[in-house]
Amino acid sequence: MRELIEHTEGINRLMARFGVKFGIYKNGEFHEQLFPFDAIPRVISREEFQKLEKGLIQRVDALNLFLNDIYGEKKIIKDQVVPEEFVFSSSGYLPECEGIKPPKGIYSHISGIDLVLGKDGKWYILEDNLRIPSGASYPMIAREICRRVSPSTFSSNPVVDNRNYAAMLKETMDWVNVGGIPVIMTPGRYNAAYFEHSYLAERTGSELATCSDLFVEDNQLFYRDYRDKKQKVGVIYRRISDEYLDPMTFLPESLIGIPNLMDVYRSGNVAIVNAPGNGVADDKGIYYFVPKMIRYYLDQEPILHNAPTYLPFYEEDRKYVLENLEKLVIKDVAEAGGYGVIFGSGLGKEKLSELRALIQKESRRFIAQEVIDFQDMEVCEGIDRVWRKADLRAFVLSGQTTRVWPSGLTRFSRNADSFVVNSSQGGGFKDTWVLSR
Amino acid sequence: MLPGRSFVIARHRQRSMRTLKFTYRMELRFSSPVSRHYFALRCIPKDSPRQKIHLTRREVEPAEYLDELEDGFQNLKLTGGCLAPHSFFRFHVEGTAEVEGMGFQEEPLHPMYRYPSRYTAFEPEVAEFAERAMERCREAKAEKILEKAVCVMDYLHANFAYVPGITNIGTTAAEALRMGKGVCQDYAHIMTAVMRYMGIPARYVNGLMIGEGFTHAWVEVYTEKGWYGLDPTNRLHIDDYYIVLAKGRDYGDCPVDKGCFFGNAAQQQNIYVNVEEMEHDRDRGINGTAGG
Repeated sequence: MRELIEHTEGINRLMARFGVKFGIYKNGEFHEQLFPFDAIPRVISREEFQKLEKGLIQRVDALNLFLNDIYGEKKIIKDQVVPEEFVFSSSGYLPECEGIKPPKGIYSHISGIDLVLGKDGKWYILEDNLRIPSGASYPMIAREICRRVSPSTFSSNPVVDNRNYAAMLKETMDWVNVGGIPVIMTPGRYNAAYFEHSYLAERTGSELATCSDLFVEDNQLFYRDYRDKKQKVGVIYRRISDEYLDPMTFLPESLIGIPNLMDVYRSGNVAIVNAPGNGVADDKGIYYFVPKMIRYYLDQEPILHNAPTYLPFYEEDRKYVLENLEKLVIKDVAEAGGYGVIFGSGLGKEKLSELRALIQKESRRFIAQEVIDFQDMEVCEGIDRVWRKADLRAFVLSGQTTRVWPSGLTRFSRNADSFVVNSSQGGGFKDTWVLSR
Repeated sequence: MLPGRSFVIARHRQRSMRTLKFTYRMELRFSSPVSRHYFALRCIPKDSPRQKIHLTRREVEPAEYLDELEDGFQNLKLTGGCLAPHSFFRFHVEGTAEVEGMGFQEEPLHPMYRYPSRYTAFEPEVAEFAERAMERCREAKAEKILEKAVCVMDYLHANFAYVPGITNIGTTAAEALRMGKGVCQDYAHIMTAVMRYMGIPARYVNGLMIGEGFTHAWVEVYTEKGWYGLDPTNRLHIDDYYIVLAKGRDYGDCPVDKGCFFGNAAQQQNIYVNVEEMEHDRDRGINGTAGG
């Protein structure tokens, strides 16, 4: 492992050459920046991973059942397990998807579940990402480079090979394919995750397409290649968000969507990965109900825990939140990507009372969580080692069966005092090793 | 929709069903050819307990493909496209509708109709107007859902002016209230927003009305067991002079005609809508297309 650390600079240089980049918008301008790699891996033991695996599969299965239910029978609402307003007033709920049966009944094919390891040694779920979770390509390519740079590290450590992500993804796409070629659709090179789109397309043997390469004819989706030859598309792994997918159904002003795609989808003539409308299940407000979903749909006790969460929507919780605001994290359910997260401890008296008033007025808009004291991880900084907050995004793929990729994206915060590890906010990443024995 | 239409109010209620003949033609002319034209049409009325539809004509041209499906709001939708260059687009729908007299239709409630939507957000103008309407309901001792709805309709009809050309298809309830005037779409959005603000589920309806020169829009409110239609533009209860085309949370969910195409062309649209009674029109002959 020491050899690996000595090569940190070289690895980062290679990744820059491969084009492993992360795009961010700052002051309205697009900047592509390198996603710094730290060579000290996160190591997960075999037993620990087995437990994580069980818990993640359970969680994602329940979330898929929830999505099936919400756009179908709505039993969980009728049985009053989830209050209807958390579903139907969520911006992630798309009534345009009512009555659609996605191929094989799968809504979330690729789920990115964010976890942290508490100081108590327990894993806590921070959030579920069921729309278009990104980040799998970073550890994929980092591992590949690390293996090349320091083969001995991997012959002397029993690390499970993680280079099967593309194969798993391909199997998932094949499973729902309704007949035709697989396509990965990118909004283009100005997207934060463009590197990943092209990398995954290459690795899964899918066509990398922008919206201008795709069109609808005869209520079917087609891809037009560079020789002007058109091919029917059977599955589209789209890396653009729901609202830009089809200007005829969603935002009419969207220029990057495919007109009438939703009708092709509704008619069962193409599979969309992940399904539109998933936002209703990874809403920060719905997060609170996931353990209840697991009990409701699977009749099982949740294996993995949520961070202790309060819903000011419920009177009892609201009372607690208002009284303990200075020690809680408050999250605006409508925001994503590390935005809209407020630490009560960082607020002055005036701001606290402003927030209290806001919570009382718009109780549905917020959730409050206990600050989890999670384990710091060692990060190299020059020749020094420093400790930083880190989380883990686990990738769960749902095809014929639900499987967890034996790796993941470990992200760490840039600053010592920061709890926010989201890559939109700076910071770097590590490889995640799952041990085979 | 038209100010001069109030004569229809003087109707008699002894008949429970009418047969209406409807025609809906739309033609779009482009100044230069356009291509990759996609469209979604909700211009065909659907069979329901309140209306039995017999379609005699359904033409869409040019259409390289045309499919019929049900959208997320259970509307009948024609989806299609014409990729080759063309300089006009038209559709023609014709048929008869046997319409039940009562505007009430039993149906389980979908919870989405309780919550604000894009056009009916609870912005300050909506909240303020709703509070005033609620005050009026209290004064009028309106307690039942339908009584409240009628009270809101009356209040809206009296406090919002029918003036075409001020608002457009993108105008929200709040924006229309700010201007104080608009057309049927705005009346329907405002009333839908106010009802939901009051905790009463409501939805937006697109349709045809006897004597109309255009499509019309109105509102349905949910009472205990089903939907009841009210037309705030004309201050009328929905009866057998109305044909439902499509419904949704607001206009955005159920436009009669939506399209997009490639090409830099000026477009000119002509619409002809006519609804007339097939028989028993002994005491008045309402038809024609009084444009407006």
